[in-house]
Amino acid sequence: MELTIDGVRTRLGGRWVVDGIDATPPTGALTGLLGPNGSGKTTLLRLIAGLLTPEGGAVLVGRADPDPAAAPVPVHTLGRRARARRIALLEQESASTVPLSVREVVALGRIPYRTLWGADPDDGAVDRALDNARATHLADRAWSDLSGGERQRVHIARALAQEPDLLLLDEPTNHLDVSAQLSVLAFVRGLPTTTVAALHDLNLAATFCDHVLVLSDGHLAAAGDPREVLRPDLIRAVYGVDCDVLTHPRTGRPVIAFAAQEPARDTSHSRETTLEDAR
Amino acid sequence: MDRSGWRPPLAVLVMVGLVLLVVTVLVTVTIGPAEIAVPDVARSIAGHLGLGDAGVPRLVDAIVWDLRLPRVLTAAAVGAGLALAGAVMQSLTRNALADPYLLGLSSGASLGAVAVLILGVGLLLPVAAFAGALVALVATLALARTHGVLTPGRAVLAGLAVSQLCAAGTSFVIFWTATGDSYREIISWLMGSLAGTTWSSVAISGVALLLVGAVLLASAVRLDAFAFGDTSAAALGIDVERTRWTLMTLVALLTGAMVAVSGAIGFIGLVLPHAVSVVTGPAHRRLLPVAALAGAVFLIWADTAARTVFDPRELPVGIITALVGVPVFAVLLRRGRGAAWS
Repeated sequence: MELTIDGVRTRLGGRWVVDGIDATPPTGALTGLLGPNGSGKTTLLRLIAGLLTPEGGAVLVGRADPDPAAAPVPVHTLGRRARARRIALLEQESASTVPLSVREVVALGRIPYRTLWGADPDDGAVDRALDNARATHLADRAWSDLSGGERQRVHIARALAQEPDLLLLDEPTNHLDVSAQLSVLAFVRGLPTTTVAALHDLNLAATFCDHVLVLSDGHLAAAGDPREVLRPDLIRAVYGVDCDVLTHPRTGRPVIAFAAQEPARDTSHSRETTLEDAR
Repeated sequence: MDRSGWRPPLAVLVMVGLVLLVVTVLVTVTIGPAEIAVPDVARSIAGHLGLGDAGVPRLVDAIVWDLRLPRVLTAAAVGAGLALAGAVMQSLTRNALADPYLLGLSSGASLGAVAVLILGVGLLLPVAAFAGALVALVATLALARTHGVLTPGRAVLAGLAVSQLCAAGTSFVIFWTATGDSYREIISWLMGSLAGTTWSSVAISGVALLLVGAVLLASAVRLDAFAFGDTSAAALGIDVERTRWTLMTLVALLTGAMVAVSGAIGFIGLVLPHAVSVVTGPAHRRLLPVAALAGAVFLIWADTAARTVFDPRELPVGIITALVGVPVFAVLLRRGRGAAWS
């Protein structure tokens, strides 16, 4: 699904957390949303998901009908159910105290399709989602007994059960061991949906993303192919860390090697300046 | 279809529940100081429903129709209503300990009820109880919320504070105004009692149960969506704030109606949903109707024990439900499912 972020801005608690972002994540590809803590990644994801209404600008999504002439519509004007059938959001550290089985967790993704009495018009959807997420073998396990990587896989199956055109993931690799991180992102990259994932790990973004958006203090600091965007000067300006960018000998993807350094004591003023330099 | 392999179909559970409920009603009406047989109960009820000639002695008929049946049916409605209220509160607050009693709604409703009782306007009793429950709910949530986040541990502590305050208020109002046995009166409002229930109690609790219960059942799918929290529910297309406040207000209404006829009976809303979900699983479409039936059967038997075990003296039924409920509460606390209890 086509997605256009058109000058969105919104405040939380008086602060402009997302302050005028324009971007066009490529359709059907994996876009990484990067930036330090507090740079506005989660809020931007919520704006894209239509859970927050922007104070300015709009997030535009392509219409569901395939008419190429149809104009995109602002996501916050879609009805709740219609939106939930097209956009799935997996939030960070999604946990539950309800004793659910894996199949029941995945079935939650069918809620936007259910009738008032809970019937699902598509009986096979849960099985297909489990299968697509390669989680069928987990179907009858208790959700609470799963490992972190398995839980994330089940959450992705739940999102796929919504049959979304647009998949939004907030830190999908958080607290996962390295093998689970790699397999989750490799899987997500293989999906045909347009996907936007907030990521902390720059090397994972460099390895898997087709496109990255780098946020800094609610602004878009850079956007584009990670091989072009993730340069030492930009990383220094946005994250305040020193690094070199190498090339992986086998994959050719960028590898960011961080250098130990004195704790950064940049004031916000000098940080703005270096960001300007980086541009 | 689940991790234990098989869960009984909903239709089977509901049928079993209904049969148990009918049998419970017929049997418990026979229990009491005056010996009455089940056929007499059936004939008395049939007679009053216009299904043929009663043919039962007038005294027996009066005991069945005027004394015991209204009490048993009120117990059924109150038990069902409190179990539903507890199940819905637990899901909306994502807190396994949330029930109308622990969150202070029941004692708020008691305070509202006794406050209008002293004014002598009986008709307003359920309305005042509803208002009391709503005020207590808002007070508890306001105390428990920190930076807009409701943490389970704080919710229970805040509920405890609100509950104690309302209980003290209730005791004071009764102590100040009652002419006769004020302590018995205080106990029956604070611990709950079904003594003195009439057909109008059946009407108040039954109508509230049917109306609110129908809306809650129709909201079952939306309640499921809260399993992974507010954002997750919103991403599934649920209007989180509207759903939460509508359903919480309905729970306050239900609690108010139940407390107006029976006082603040504890632990049904806490224990029944947990016990029932072992069989039904957590999906609300299955959990809610079965919890309501189980609550009805449970409270009828608890009340039957309350009125007969120490005959001729009568225990407040809340003592029985606490005797059963507190051990279960303790088990839940000991099992402590991680972050939800911090």
